[in-house]
Amino acid sequence: MNPFQTYDARILEIKELTPREKLFTLRFVDPEINKEFTYKPGQFVIVDIRGFGEFPISLCSSPTRTGYFQLCVRRVGRMTKYMHKLKEGDIIGIRGPYGNGFPMEEMEDSNLLLVAGGLGMAPLRSVLWYALDSGKYKQIYLFYGTKSYEDILFRDEIIHLLKHGEAMNCRVKLAYEVESPSCIYLEKGFAPKVCKGVVTDLFRGEELDVENTYALICGPPVMYKFVIKELLDRKLTPGRIYMTLERRMRCGIGKCGHCIVGTSTSIKYICKDGPVFTYWEALSTRGLI
Amino acid sequence: MRYVKLPSENFEEFFNSLKSWGTVYAPVKQGNIYSFKQVNTLGEVSLNYTRTMLPPKKFFVHPKDTLLKLKNGRWEESKEVEKIVLFGVHSCDIHGLQILDKVYLAEPIDPYYKNRRENAVIIGISCMPDEYCFCKSLGTHFAMHGFDLFLHELPDGWLVRVGSVKGHEIAWANESLFEEVTEEDLKHFKEFEDKRSASFKKHLNKEGLADMLDLAFDSPVWKKYERICLGCGNCNMVCPTCRCYEVCDYWINAYESVRVRRYDSCFMETHGLVAGGHNFRPTRLDRFRHRYYCKSYFDPSAGFNCVGCGRCDEFCPAKIEHVKVLDEVREELK
Ligand SMILES: Cc1cc2nc3c(=O)[nH]c(=O)nc-3n(C[C@H](O)[C@H](O)[C@H](O)COP(=O)(O)OP(=O)(O)OC[C@H]3O[C@@H](n4cnc5c(N)ncnc54)[C@H](O)[C@@H]3O)c2cc1C
Ligand code: SF4
Ligand code: SF4
Ligand code: FES
Repeated sequence: MNPFQTYDARILEIKELTPREKLFTLRFVDPEINKEFTYKPGQFVIVDIRGFGEFPISLCSSPTRTGYFQLCVRRVGRMTKYMHKLKEGDIIGIRGPYGNGFPMEEMEDSNLLLVAGGLGMAPLRSVLWYALDSGKYKQIYLFYGTKSYEDILFRDEIIHLLKHGEAMNCRVKLAYEVESPSCIYLEKGFAPKVCKGVVTDLFRGEELDVENTYALICGPPVMYKFVIKELLDRKLTPGRIYMTLERRMRCGIGKCGHCIVGTSTSIKYICKDGPVFTYWEALSTRGLI
Repeated sequence: MRYVKLPSENFEEFFNSLKSWGTVYAPVKQGNIYSFKQVNTLGEVSLNYTRTMLPPKKFFVHPKDTLLKLKNGRWEESKEVEKIVLFGVHSCDIHGLQILDKVYLAEPIDPYYKNRRENAVIIGISCMPDEYCFCKSLGTHFAMHGFDLFLHELPDGWLVRVGSVKGHEIAWANESLFEEVTEEDLKHFKEFEDKRSASFKKHLNKEGLADMLDLAFDSPVWKKYERICLGCGNCNMVCPTCRCYEVCDYWINAYESVRVRRYDSCFMETHGLVAGGHNFRPTRLDRFRHRYYCKSYFDPSAGFNCVGCGRCDEFCPAKIEHVKVLDEVREELK
C-alpha cells in the first residue's frame, strides 16, 4: 500500500458560497472506498489535482451524513485556483482522512461552544452537524465572526439556525465587521444574536457553565489569543479548550517535516498529532499558536 | 553478536565478493571532500576517510525522488530499486539511518524508503575522530545494530562484528576468508577503541539540554547568530537526520506527469509559509532557532535528533559550530 496514492473522487456539486469560497460535494468513484470512508469532525484530506499538486483541506461535512463528503475551498493561490476552475463531474484525487479530529465522544453530554472566525467555519461546520445529528450534546453555541454579509459561509444554514436553532438546543450568534443593509436587516431581525463587532464581542452577556462546557475554536492565527483570553477569564480550564491549527503541509502523515512545531522538550506534528490541540498543549508547546 | 576475523591478505577478495550482493558504494576522495561513490576496486576506496559531504541518507531518501508517474490519468508507483552495498559506513551514520527509520518506517510506512532499506547491505567501518566529531557525547560513536557487518581495524586485518542474518549469510558465503578471533585480536580491538575514545576533542554537554534550550527561547545568542548565518541551508542538506522534503508535480509531455519530492530546508523562507502570505517562521532568527530545537529535541525513546557527525560544522560557509552555539546558549542562561 502506497500512502501517497490518491483515490478518484467525482465532484457531484459545486456551490459558490462567496466570491472566494466554493463548496465541493464529492463521492469516491469506487463504491467500496465510498463505503469504507469515514472520518471525525476536525480531520482533513489531501486533495490531489493530478499533474499540478496537492494541498490539505478540512472536511466540512459530517460523518453522520454518508455517501458523500464536502470541502469548502477558499481561492488563495495556485492550487486553490485550479480547484475553483473544476466543474461538476470532474475527477480529483483524495487521500486521507488525516489528523486526530475533535474528541466527539469524550465531549458527549456537555455543552459545546464553537467559536469560528472566517474560514474557520469550515471544520466547525462538521462538528456542528455532527452534534445536531447525533443529539448527544446538551447546549450547542456557535459564535461566528465574519467580515461582511457576503463573507458569511453557509449563509442559508446560519440564517436557518438563527431562526430555528433554539428548538434544537443550538444558539447561533454572528458578529460582522463591515456594515451593509443586509447586515443591519439581520441585526434587526435577530437582535441581540447578531451584532457589529468581532467574535469576542459575542461573549458579552453570555454565562458559561464552565464545569460542563468544551470550547472548540478555529479561525485565523490572530484570533486564538483573544478568544482564549475570553474563555480563561470565565475560568474554562485549558484542557477543555480545543482548537484546530494550520501549517504548511506536504505529506499529511508525519514524513515531510513541514508542519513540525515546538522546541527541544516537545516537538509536535500538526498533521498527525493535530490539527486539533488543547490549549494546555499550546501552553506546553512553544510556537503552536 | 558474532565475531570473526578477516586477515589483511583476504581483505581484497572479501571486498570483491561484495559485488555479488549489489552495486558497491564506498567513500572516495574527490578534491578535498569524500563522497559515497560506486567503486570497482578496493584501491578506489578511502578507508581512512573522515566524513562524506552527503551522508548515506542520499541512498534512501534521494535528493530528488520520483514518487508517482501519471499515466492515463492515474498515478503509478515508481518502483525501480537497486541492490546496493554501502561499504565503509561510520557508526554515527548508522545511527543517523536509524533515526530516519523511525520516521519513514513508522505507520504509514514509506514504501520507497522501505524498499531501498531492504535492498541495501550496510557494512560499517571503524574510524578515528577529527576536530569536528562529537558523536561520543551523544552515544552514537558505537553502533550496536543497524548494520550487517562492522569492520574494526586490527594491525593485521579486521575484527568483524556480524550484526544481522544478511551479514551472517555474507560471512557464510566467504567462510574460507575468515578466521576465529583470538585473545590477541580482542586486545587490539580494545586498544583501538580506547585510543579512539581518548581522541575526541569536541564534547557536547547534553545534561538537561532540552529543558535548558526551552528556557533560552529568547536568548540573545540566537540574535547574534541570526546575523552571522547566511541562511543557505547547507547544514540541513548534509545532516544525516534532516529529512524535510518538498513535493512538486512536473509535466514530461502533454500526457505524462511525475510527482517528485526533493530535499527542503527549514532555513528557506518558504518552509513555514502558508496561503495568504502568512509565515509561521518569518525571520532568520526563527528559522535558525528552529533547527537547533529540532536537532536537540529529546525523544525519550530515541534520544537527540543529532548524531554528532560534525558535517554541519565542516560544511557551514559561515563557520558556525553546532556545539559552540549550544554552549553559548547555555552560558548565557547562567
Ligand atoms: C489542516 C489544514 C486544513 C485546511 N483546511 C482548509 C479548508 O477547509 N479550506 C481552505 O480553503 N483551506 C484550508 N487549508 C488551507 C489550504 O491548504 C491552503 O489554502 C492551500 O494549500 C493553498 O494553496 P495554494 O496553492 O492555492 O496557495 P499558494 O499561496 O499559491 O500556496 C503556495 C504553496 O504553499 C502551500 N500552502 C499554502 N498554504 C498552505 C497551508 N495553509 N497549508 C499547507 N500548504 C499550504 C500550497 O500547497 C502551495 O503549493 C487548510 C490547511 C491545513 C493545513
Ligand atoms: S546536526 Fe550537525 S552534527 Fe548533528 S547530525 Fe546533523 S550534521 Fe551531524
Ligand atoms: S550552513 Fe551555516 S550559514 Fe548555512 S544555514 Fe546552516 S548555519 Fe546558516
Ligand atoms: S505535513 Fe508532512 S510532516 Fe506534517
